[in-house]
Amino acid sequence: MQSSENPGREAILARIRAALKVPAKISDSPGHLHAGPEAIFAPISDPLERFQRECGANNTELILTKSATEGIATARAILESLPPGEIFIQDAQSVRDAAQSFQGSRALRWSSEGGPRESSQASITLAESLVAQTGSVLISSACGGRGASVAVPVHIVLASIDQLVPDLDAAFARIAERGTAAKNAYLCLITGSSRTADIEKILVMGAHGPKRLVVILTLS
Amino acid sequence: MTTAAQDFLRNAAVKSADLIHRKTIRNSIDHYDSAVVRGRARFQNWEAAREKCQAIKRDGIEHLDRYLEEFESKVNARGGQVFWAENGEQARQYIAALAAKHNVRTISKSKSMVAEEIHLTAALEGKGIEVFETDLGEFIVQLRKEPPYHIVTPAMHLTRGQIAELFKEKLGGIETDDPSMLVAAARAALRRAFFSAEMGITGANFLVADQGLAAISTNEGNADLGVTLPRIHLVLAGIEKVIPRMQDLAILWPVLAASGTGQPITCYNTLVGGPRGANETAGPEEFHVVLLDNGRSELLADPEQREVLHCIRCGACLNACPVYRNVGGHTYNTAYPGPIGSVLTPHLRGLNQFQHLSYASSLCGACTEACPVKIDLHHHLLENRRNAVSDADRPLGERIAFKLWGWSMGGASRFAFLGGVGKFLLRALYGLGIEGTAIDPLRPWTKYRAVPKLAAESFRARWSKNHAVE
Amino acid sequence: MPKVALFIPCFVDQLTPQIGVDMTAVLRRVGYEVTFPKDQTCCGQPGFNSGYWDDARPLAERFLRVFRDAETIVCPSGSCTTMVRIFYPQLLAGAAHETEAREIGKRVFEFSEFLVKVAKVTDVGASFPHRVTYHDACHALRELHLKQEPRQLLQAVRGIELVEMPFSEECCGFGGTFSTKFSAISAAMGETKAGNAAQSCAEFITSTDPSCLLQIDGILRHKKSPVSTIHIGSILAQTGDAGGAR
Repeated sequence: MQSSENPGREAILARIRAALKVPAKISDSPGHLHAGPEAIFAPISDPLERFQRECGANNTELILTKSATEGIATARAILESLPPGEIFIQDAQSVRDAAQSFQGSRALRWSSEGGPRESSQASITLAESLVAQTGSVLISSACGGRGASVAVPVHIVLASIDQLVPDLDAAFARIAERGTAAKNAYLCLITGSSRTADIEKILVMGAHGPKRLVVILTLS
Repeated sequence: MTTAAQDFLRNAAVKSADLIHRKTIRNSIDHYDSAVVRGRARFQNWEAAREKCQAIKRDGIEHLDRYLEEFESKVNARGGQVFWAENGEQARQYIAALAAKHNVRTISKSKSMVAEEIHLTAALEGKGIEVFETDLGEFIVQLRKEPPYHIVTPAMHLTRGQIAELFKEKLGGIETDDPSMLVAAARAALRRAFFSAEMGITGANFLVADQGLAAISTNEGNADLGVTLPRIHLVLAGIEKVIPRMQDLAILWPVLAASGTGQPITCYNTLVGGPRGANETAGPEEFHVVLLDNGRSELLADPEQREVLHCIRCGACLNACPVYRNVGGHTYNTAYPGPIGSVLTPHLRGLNQFQHLSYASSLCGACTEACPVKIDLHHHLLENRRNAVSDADRPLGERIAFKLWGWSMGGASRFAFLGGVGKFLLRALYGLGIEGTAIDPLRPWTKYRAVPKLAAESFRARWSKNHAVE
Repeated sequence: MPKVALFIPCFVDQLTPQIGVDMTAVLRRVGYEVTFPKDQTCCGQPGFNSGYWDDARPLAERFLRVFRDAETIVCPSGSCTTMVRIFYPQLLAGAAHETEAREIGKRVFEFSEFLVKVAKVTDVGASFPHRVTYHDACHALRELHLKQEPRQLLQAVRGIELVEMPFSEECCGFGGTFSTKFSAISAAMGETKAGNAAQSCAEFITSTDPSCLLQIDGILRHKKSPVSTIHIGSILAQTGDAGGAR
């Protein structure tokens, strides 16, 4: 934006710089010393076990499968249990391969065609990583585009064990290594199915996002 | 006393006596407290977590110009646009002009306290645009035509019965007060708004400088719909939201959730920083970020209270505050209620008009204890009071009273004499039976509490007599 | 014999002097010689809390002068102790007395803090066979970090039944001039505190702070409650000889 269109920019920056010339008065009281372990979070010795536990707590349906074939069969079984309607599906090679087994029985809308529609019954996507610490799925717009994970009532994630990282620090390190944030304008860390507690603090599942989040995790 | 102060006193008195309100809020906060105990237990060292978050926010604020420029350049590199608004008027004008340019008729909006601060919705509705609040709590208070009660849980003052009645009246077809049915009704009602809105407006919990990303946390997923479906996505955020690195979110997200709701982490933590990329088939054509100053750079210039800008808007101080719990969020009549609001509002909106908020506190310190970024909230209230005495209007009677007090306490025999005289007069007056009546000089006390027994002999008299031996 | 100087809050001196008398008796019982600097008046907290720092400052300077030669100062109030230890450095920042203001914090103690941390006693030979609940006064709890110390002293009292009330750490609503400037809110907070105390079925509510007890007692008497309030010093002064609780 030209500075002539936004004179506020220089004015605000000038005020900030002038303000920061005076150092903040930081309280010199030592505060109450709290003895405790150095590490803020306890170390995670068994990420898979932790991931399973967290998914159980946050209402993520986690299905462990021994092979890709078993994973595909699981996905197909879930789709068969859903009401009739279009399935929104990420257009990636591995997903195309998987989709061959149910292509005939369901209408598919590929992410390369556009975003999900109101009529979509479910979406199937890959993920960037899985985070054991919180039982979360990290997706980006490369995983079927924005909306794939949130505009549908059921979101199915196809993942493999090598995508599981122990904690959020590791997840961000992986993003940095792979340049995921540089390549995508949208990322989302999803932890469980959509929910709200705005009514009397009572937890209700399925607000605006999916009511069901399914993670099919292949162990090989 | 200003009108704002008079209104506050009147509304506070009404709400404080409202026993149903007291019970509803107590129930809500009890839920929250139990959840927070569980949430904090996930941290091996909660104090270390607080210190780390404080350090991150301090880094961000102490280098605010550099980080804002870095954020802007990263957003621009992705094809997004950044507008710096000195005040609410400039922000409103920018957003309204953008909406007009694109013939926006409908806006889907996820929760933004900054939008409340600048009265954005009213301004857009004034231009004939329909604005839908998509956060359930905000949706509810919008239907009731009232402001949010709390910065995190806007409808915590309402029972499910009240919400059911509201939905029955405004949405139709509601025959139950079952929360899942009410949520389903809201979801259905807002679906149309999501898919038809030409513009989505969100706030931001954090602005990540090193990646140029706005971080938005929701449990419902409403922000994700807002950054995906409309043609234009606009982020409105205060300049103080900036943090140095994306990596900082590894601690900020869990701490925000633990303090905000007691959860391990919020359900959807979204990072968005540009319009639809070349490799995307869905997403907005335009991405705008409006950075709002509106008094924040002045607070930055206050070396004592600069740290107030560290606030991550978790709401923990509201939940901890016994005053908030008794007077309720609406009594403050500001965008930001509770302890953070009482500290902040005099800076953003004027000390003279809003000094009363800093006085409406017993200084118990529960807020400071609750704050996950260790802002010294209750001590800042004291500083605001000092500033009010030196720079704003205080009642002349009060100024004189404290001069007299200072003089009375300036000498031991003077103090002892005046203490004795005071008690004598009070005994005489109460002997005439005026305790609790309209002419009782201690009426603010005696309206609700018995007067303490007035000791005949002071401690110093007993010490003089026999060194206070019984 | 080790010596302590009494710092008697202005309102204790005038309204509830028995608290001072009781604290003195306990200090003597555990082996201290007690002095009372007669020139003391007020620590300056009321003015300070209302923002009148210029009016409070001379009183702070006066306090420093009156207690300059006292090696150890003991006070039956968490909020007055807090004023001296925590706030004098800020009130006198940049003034000639700033160093002294920082230093005095090391030799002024709230009464229960003194007994447990300095005198290193928890059993002061007290007897009080009643059901008692403890209110955590805000300054004592959050500024002086006293939570266990008053409870340790109470638990050692013969015959006492010490019970916890729900939300013992919640403010009673006094807050100095807050109690009259925002009396409706203050009363609501006091009512909540009284209700929580009642849930413990205690006969007595105790605390380190006479100001809290004034507030709570005022509410209880107004509601004609059978529950009484008593300062921790007055409980510890009871030895079971002659006469029961006051």
